[in-house]
Amino acid sequence: MCERSIEEKNLLPAESINVALIAYCMYLYEACQNQNDKHSFLCAPDKFLLHYRPFMPPAIHPVDLLRVLRHQRLTPAIVFLTSRRACDEAIGSFEHRQLPIPPTRSAAITDVLDHMIAEYPSIAGHPLIPTVQQYGVAAHHAGHLPSWKIAVEELMRQGCLDAVFATTTLAAGVDFPARTVVMTQSSVRKDRNITELTVNEIQQLAGRGGRRGKDYVGFVVVTPSPYIDLGPIANGLTNHPEPIDSQFVISYPMVLNLLKAHSIDHIQPILEKSFAQFQLNQRADAYETKLDDVETQLEAYGRRDCADWIAQWQSFNLAKKRRSHHRRNTQHDPPEISAQLAFLTPGRAVELSKNHAIVLRQYRSRGQGAPMLTVVRNGGRVIEYPASAVTAVIDEVIDVTEARRFPWCTPQSLNHAIETLEEFPARLRRLPIRVDQDGADNPILTETLKDEFPCPTCPSRPACQKDHPQALKLRQEKHRLTKTIHAMRTELWHRFQQHVEVLQKFGYLTPACQLTSEGDWARLIRINHSLLITELIRMGAFEGITASLLAGVLASIAHDDDRPASFPGRHPGLTSTLGQVRKIAHSLSAYEEPPLLRWDVAAIADRWIAEPALPWNELIRSTTMAEGDVYRLLARTLEYLSQVYGLKATHPGLAGVSRDAMDLMRRDVLQELP
Amino acid sequence: MSNRMNNDALAKHLAGLSVRLLHRLAKNRVRRHFRMGKTRLIQSLLALSPEQRAEIETTLTSFLPEPPRPSKPSKPDRQVKPNHQPDAPPHPVPPPRQHQVPTEPAISARALFEGIGVPPPQPFKPDDWQREAIDRLATNDVILSVPTGSGKTYVAIEAMQRAIETERTVIYTSPLKALSNTKLTEFSQFFGADQVGILTGDRRDNPQAPILIMTTEILRNLLYDAAGGEIDMRMDTLGLIILDESQFLADAERGVVWEETIIFAPAQSRLLLLSASIGNPEEVAAWISSIRSTSCHLIHHRNRSVPLRAAYLDPSGKLAPFFRTRDIARGKGFVLHSETKRLFANYEDRTLGPRYKR
Repeated sequence: MCERSIEEKNLLPAESINVALIAYCMYLYEACQNQNDKHSFLCAPDKFLLHYRPFMPPAIHPVDLLRVLRHQRLTPAIVFLTSRRACDEAIGSFEHRQLPIPPTRSAAITDVLDHMIAEYPSIAGHPLIPTVQQYGVAAHHAGHLPSWKIAVEELMRQGCLDAVFATTTLAAGVDFPARTVVMTQSSVRKDRNITELTVNEIQQLAGRGGRRGKDYVGFVVVTPSPYIDLGPIANGLTNHPEPIDSQFVISYPMVLNLLKAHSIDHIQPILEKSFAQFQLNQRADAYETKLDDVETQLEAYGRRDCADWIAQWQSFNLAKKRRSHHRRNTQHDPPEISAQLAFLTPGRAVELSKNHAIVLRQYRSRGQGAPMLTVVRNGGRVIEYPASAVTAVIDEVIDVTEARRFPWCTPQSLNHAIETLEEFPARLRRLPIRVDQDGADNPILTETLKDEFPCPTCPSRPACQKDHPQALKLRQEKHRLTKTIHAMRTELWHRFQQHVEVLQKFGYLTPACQLTSEGDWARLIRINHSLLITELIRMGAFEGITASLLAGVLASIAHDDDRPASFPGRHPGLTSTLGQVRKIAHSLSAYEEPPLLRWDVAAIADRWIAEPALPWNELIRSTTMAEGDVYRLLARTLEYLSQVYGLKATHPGLAGVSRDAMDLMRRDVLQELP
Repeated sequence: MSNRMNNDALAKHLAGLSVRLLHRLAKNRVRRHFRMGKTRLIQSLLALSPEQRAEIETTLTSFLPEPPRPSKPSKPDRQVKPNHQPDAPPHPVPPPRQHQVPTEPAISARALFEGIGVPPPQPFKPDDWQREAIDRLATNDVILSVPTGSGKTYVAIEAMQRAIETERTVIYTSPLKALSNTKLTEFSQFFGADQVGILTGDRRDNPQAPILIMTTEILRNLLYDAAGGEIDMRMDTLGLIILDESQFLADAERGVVWEETIIFAPAQSRLLLLSASIGNPEEVAAWISSIRSTSCHLIHHRNRSVPLRAAYLDPSGKLAPFFRTRDIARGKGFVLHSETKRLFANYEDRTLGPRYKR
């Protein structure tokens, strides 16, 4: 699917103009937002579109889908769609295409709902209630309030609904079974990327199909949407799930809490108990068998005349290379040529590719310094050849008197040479030339190195020369493996020590790794961005802060979703406080990833507390954030506030403010569930 | 088609095809085929080695009846030439990995939907593995890695019951607050509301109850406090810790909390890890065995209590079996049903857009 471009997608011509526009806007948006995104518009347009148009519906109309499912008695069903918006639109589409359920079933739904409303008043007046009653379908995703989700789950458990449209993002949160699971996608949006569903995820989704005790058989129905590929789904349904890996990370609260209970000497054994270390050890063990293997191989190249011959030979080799640097011309020749050169004196008979010749002169070419020959060939032609053209040296030398000019010998010698050539029989004895493969080093050179190295005169020299490349490779492999194994065994401990150093720097730990008075309370903040929060407290950023402002700041620290939303207005106090917080967070960015610190979410929490009479619906109406998101934001803020409240022994003032904030916050919808 | 076409016949045949099909033929056979025009493509296809020529000719036969037959089922084709390698399929579905040669005929849509219904209510009888898990919990830690919906909660409830009978307390953790609430309702119905309490970050309902429900983070914090000597949280009477959805161990952000909880769990309390199917439960069990005083017993199977079948629903409303076989076979590769492949290919062709319609 990835190789295709936008036009190939399921778009009507009229639609495609809109899409092109949207895509272009999105492209501009993305160009400024994150340039490193793997799925940028230019790299993978279809993934990009899935990313930014996540409300693309499945190709079959939801009403038709339900009609088919009912016809085949496949209801109740959970339909997994790509996005919240797709779920809501699917529900909405039932209003245009009448497909009501019998009144008796409507009555049953109303019964259950009444029951739920008595327990959770916030359900009353939910805009989706009429649709649920009329058509027996519901949406279930993170944008809804928990109480509504509980109601939907209850309806499903009672068997009142025909279909629930849910998102895949929270597969674990969908804890109700159905007869049928409908899958419309094979990839899913995670953070800012599109990833294919893993086997684990697909099985988690498919696992909701088939109710124990209520069904003989469960079904997975796959229906195509623009974002589906059958391969991954079929693979996910049939394959074994992936193994899981440890995700152990060391955090500041973990360090403080461990050092509170144990001395630094006892930490390493504790870290070794982690699943991370267990898995690292297993990998390290595998490397160790490899290391043993390498070591046994190395043993074959054990001790020679010197204790560490590999290093000795290497430095000798290096010195040799460095010395010979100046005599590059002679060194350039391949060994077989340089072995021949000593024999190619004037008067020597040689064999060229086809016929015989007699050497008149040996010289080096001016440009490359290549060894060259002047020869006289059959027929009396005098020609220049590179020495490499000589195919064989013949065991025959004639007398040639050299001269300093062309033809490089006296005319008598030349004539003599030509005559001899003509008399040569077809076959002549070739001179066997021993090519000394390792004789690349110049005798003079080894002579001078004799004082510094034992190698030139060492008896095991040929063996060293032969084995060296292989032995060196093995030894490097051994060093690499040893290093890797060591890193695996000590990785966690090193990361722990890095965190200890940071905490010592900020004064939470003494140099002896004991908790200071500051560290003693800081360890009670056990949430993300704990360093930022404790530093804010120590710097006095919360001195004299109001309950609403405190909640606002903590909300902006707690919120880590970058789903865009608008804001319900801000006031100067919040802006300036958040400005300070942002500065501090930035200064800590080397030690802790700074939070998003969005002031629009801060304003929501701030407003909810600052106006104790504000009804929930009013708050929701003032922002574009989904109800469920606001609920989760406030619930998380409550958690952060309660952590700050935990400091009541050392910071009574601040704890009091957060107590007030918690009391003010816990009202209306936020009070319904524990 | 004759066994070996001569050059001219093949050239003529290829010339009749669209460039798109030619490119598909040339894929993985001709280098840089995407750069070529039609004439050069045909030339380079003709210049291929005899084996590759033979492959192309077989593929060509599968192209022939393809385009203008929208509704005729292609199942007979399949049976006529069962030994044809299905490589280079005429549509972009990735070729299924064929581990076994299909011998029995493919399932029909009618047979697929047979047997739907509600079984009569039966007295509940625990499975063997459920009983085994409960028995083992008396002495060992237990990991349950079984498919979703096969009855993990039954084991949890039974284990709680036994713990309460011996006056030990139970902590039940879930990854999400929403699940905590569901479990609170469920357990309250079973044990009575006074027996179940819930702890959240900012609220404690009935914290003295023998069964406490909380998120894993809260339990981790309690264990920190207990280690620091702050509170005694009845850690000495804590008999059982149940970690639901333990596959969260692999969660990028929160996995560490599960690890800490398992590391710091009091030695005398038993651990019960409930997890969906994961790939390496043996490894997790070996880890827990290595750090805890008693060994960890693994119960692991992939059999669903309700069998699962798969179907494909075409946008036109036509249902077809998804796989060739009726039930979903695990770990043996798969063969998609030919009807599904045809419908999906049609769907893709329809959604490819006007530029590619020929």
